[in-house]
Amino acid sequence: MADQSAYKAQPLLSARGVTRRFKVGDRVVEVLHGVDLELFDGELVALMGSSGAGKSTLIQVLGLLDAPDEGEVRYGSVSAWKEPPSERARLRNRAVGFVFQFFHLIPELDAVENVLLPAMIGSDPDLVERRKELRERARAMLVQFGLGDRLDHRPAQLSGGEKQRVAIARALLLDPKLVIADEPTGNLDSTTGAKVLDLLLEEQKKRSLTLLLVTHDERVAARCSRVVRMKDGHVVDPRG
Amino acid sequence: MYRSFLSWRWMRTRKTNIIGVVGIAVGVGALIMILSIMTGFLEQSKKTLRGGLSDLSVEPLFLPLEGGELPPLDPRPVLEVVRADPRVEAACAQLVWYGIIGQGGGDAAISALRMSDATGSQSLSGVKLVGIDLADEYATTALRADLERAPRSGATRVVDPERPFAPPPGHEPVGRPLASVVVGEQLARAWNLRRGDVIEVVTGVPDAQDGDFQVQNRRFVVAGTFRSGENEMDLDRIYMERSELVDFLGSGRLYSQVLVKTRDYEQQGRALQSDLSARLSELGILRGLDAGEVRTWEDHRRSLLAAIKNERVLMGIMLSLVVLVAAFTIFAILSMMVTEKRRDIGILTALGATSGGVSQLFLLVAFWDALLGALFGAVLGVLGAIYIDAIEQWLSRVFGVQIFDRGVYIFDHIPSVVNPSWVALIVLGAFLCTLLFALVPAVRAGRLHPLDALRHE
Repeated sequence: MADQSAYKAQPLLSARGVTRRFKVGDRVVEVLHGVDLELFDGELVALMGSSGAGKSTLIQVLGLLDAPDEGEVRYGSVSAWKEPPSERARLRNRAVGFVFQFFHLIPELDAVENVLLPAMIGSDPDLVERRKELRERARAMLVQFGLGDRLDHRPAQLSGGEKQRVAIARALLLDPKLVIADEPTGNLDSTTGAKVLDLLLEEQKKRSLTLLLVTHDERVAARCSRVVRMKDGHVVDPRG
Repeated sequence: MYRSFLSWRWMRTRKTNIIGVVGIAVGVGALIMILSIMTGFLEQSKKTLRGGLSDLSVEPLFLPLEGGELPPLDPRPVLEVVRADPRVEAACAQLVWYGIIGQGGGDAAISALRMSDATGSQSLSGVKLVGIDLADEYATTALRADLERAPRSGATRVVDPERPFAPPPGHEPVGRPLASVVVGEQLARAWNLRRGDVIEVVTGVPDAQDGDFQVQNRRFVVAGTFRSGENEMDLDRIYMERSELVDFLGSGRLYSQVLVKTRDYEQQGRALQSDLSARLSELGILRGLDAGEVRTWEDHRRSLLAAIKNERVLMGIMLSLVVLVAAFTIFAILSMMVTEKRRDIGILTALGATSGGVSQLFLLVAFWDALLGALFGAVLGVLGAIYIDAIEQWLSRVFGVQIFDRGVYIFDHIPSVVNPSWVALIVLGAFLCTLLFALVPAVRAGRLHPLDALRHE
C-alpha cells in the first residue's frame, strides 16, 4: 500500500516517547515505556500483542482519550496533548473515528441517530449547515451496509454484526482520515466477524483511510500492509 | 445540539425521570394549593373577624393633658376635625358603658329565682350599653342593615327602622314613659325578650365630684332586636339614644369613641390614621401619635390576623420542604443515571463531546424534569385550589367521611384565593432549586474519565 515515498512524507499521526503509568494500590505500574509510532496516509496497520502488552492503553492515548505521562502525540503538525481540551474534543470528533470491540452504541437512539451522533456532537459550523445532507448520508451508509430495513431499530433490536456495522458507519460519517478499531470482531462469531472485517477493509481501501486495527488474529494481520507488534509496553518493530 | 436531543430522549425513555417529574409536580401543586387555601381562609377570616368594626375609631383616653386639663367631653370638636378630611365618608359618636340586666316588671320574681341559681349562665347578663346618634350611626355603621336582617326563630325586629327608638306599639307605661332600646337577637333569645317587654339595667358610675362609685338603675322598654351576625355583638349589645345613655349615667361623659367610615380604607386607611392622630393631638384632644387612640379595625384584631398570617408563613415553609425533597429526588435520580450512563458518557467523549458538554447534557435532563414537574404542578395546584370544594365533596362522598367540617367555621365552603405572583414564585423556586441540586451530579458526569467508562464492559 504505502510505498517508500509515503514514509518520507509527514506522518498523519505520530507518537513519540509515549509513557503511561497507572497507580495500582501503592505501586506505580508503567504500562507504556516510551512508545514511538508513526501512521501514514492510507496505511492499514495491524497492532498485535498478547493481552497486557499495552495495546489498549496505546490506542487510548493515540485516540486522545487518555493523557500520556510523557511523550507526545501529533496529529499532522499539532501536538494534541498540548492543545486545550476543547481542541482535543474537536480532533476526536473530526480527525479520528473509533470502532470498539463492544460496539458502544447509545441504547436510546435508533441506528440512524447513532450514526449521526458525531455530527450532532461536533460544534463546527459546517456540521450545522450540512445537517440535512449528513442525515441523508447516514441513511445511505446504513443502506449500503445492508441495514436498509433496520434504520429505526434501537441497538437492542440489532444483532452483534448489525451493531458493529452501525458503529463503523458512525466512525466514518464525518470522513476522518484515521480510524482506530479495537478488536472490532472480537465480540462476534467467526462468520459474522469475517463479514464485518471485509466491510471495514473495503471501506479502508475505498476511502484510502489510515486504519489502525488491533487484532489477535494472524490471518487478519496478514491482510494488513504493516504489522506493529507490542510486548511488555514496547513496540517491538515500529516499522513492521 | 446533541445535548437537548439526547437529554429529551433520555427524559422520555427512562421511567425514573417520571418519578422526578411527579415528585416535583406534587410538591409544587401542594404548595400552591395549600397557600391558596390559607390565603382564602385569611381573607374570609378577615371579613368575619372584622364584624361590626368600623374602618377607624378615635378613642380618647380622657386623661389629664399637660396643662392638667381634661380633654373636651363633647364629641363635636372631634367630629368636626374628622369630617373635615376629604378621605372620610362619615363619622359618628358613640357612648359605651357596661351594665347588668335583669327582667323588670311582673317578671322580677322570676329574675330573682334565676339569680339564686349560682351556676346558671342566664341568671344575669353583662351587657354593653351603646348610646348612638341615629342619623350619624346609620351613615357610618351597618346598624340599619342589622335592624332589617331577617330575624331567626321568633325574634322581633323594630316596627320602623327609621325610628327604632319610638315606643313599641301597645306600650302603655304606668308612670313616666320608658325609653326604648334595641337589643341583640341572642340576648333577646337568652332572656326570652319580645317587643314591648321591660328590662331593668343596673350599672355603676364613678362620681365626677368625689370619685365614689354610684349605682344607677333604670328601666327600658324593648323596641325590637337586631342581628349583626357577629356572635359577641348579638349577645351583649343594647342600643339606645346617646342622650338617653348620657342622662342615665349622669357622669358628664358625652361620648367614648368616634367611629369613622373612610372612602377607600385599603389605600388611605393607614395615612388617615396618622393624620387624624396628629391633628387631634395638636388640638389637645388626644395625647399623641403613640398613644394608640386612633385605631384601624385591623389594630383591634391584630393578634388574630397575625396568627393566621403566621400560620400561612409556617405552612409555606413546611411545604417548601416538600419541594426540597422533590429536588433531592432529582439529585438522586440524576446521580443514579450518571453512574448508569458511564459507558455512554465515555462514548460521547470519544465521539468529541467536551466535559462541559456532558455536564450540560445531564443538567438538561434535570431541566426537563423541573420544567415538566413545575408546569404540571402549577396546573395541578391552581386547578386544585379552584375546585377544592368539589374535590372535597367528591372525596367525602367516596370515602363516606366528612373531611371539611363546615360547622367549625363560619363559612360554608372551603375558601381559596390563587395569587398569580405566588404561583410564579413557587414554580420558579422549585425550578431553580432542582437545577441547583442537579448541578452536583452533572458536574460529576463531566469529570468522569472516559476510559473508566469505555474500558470495562
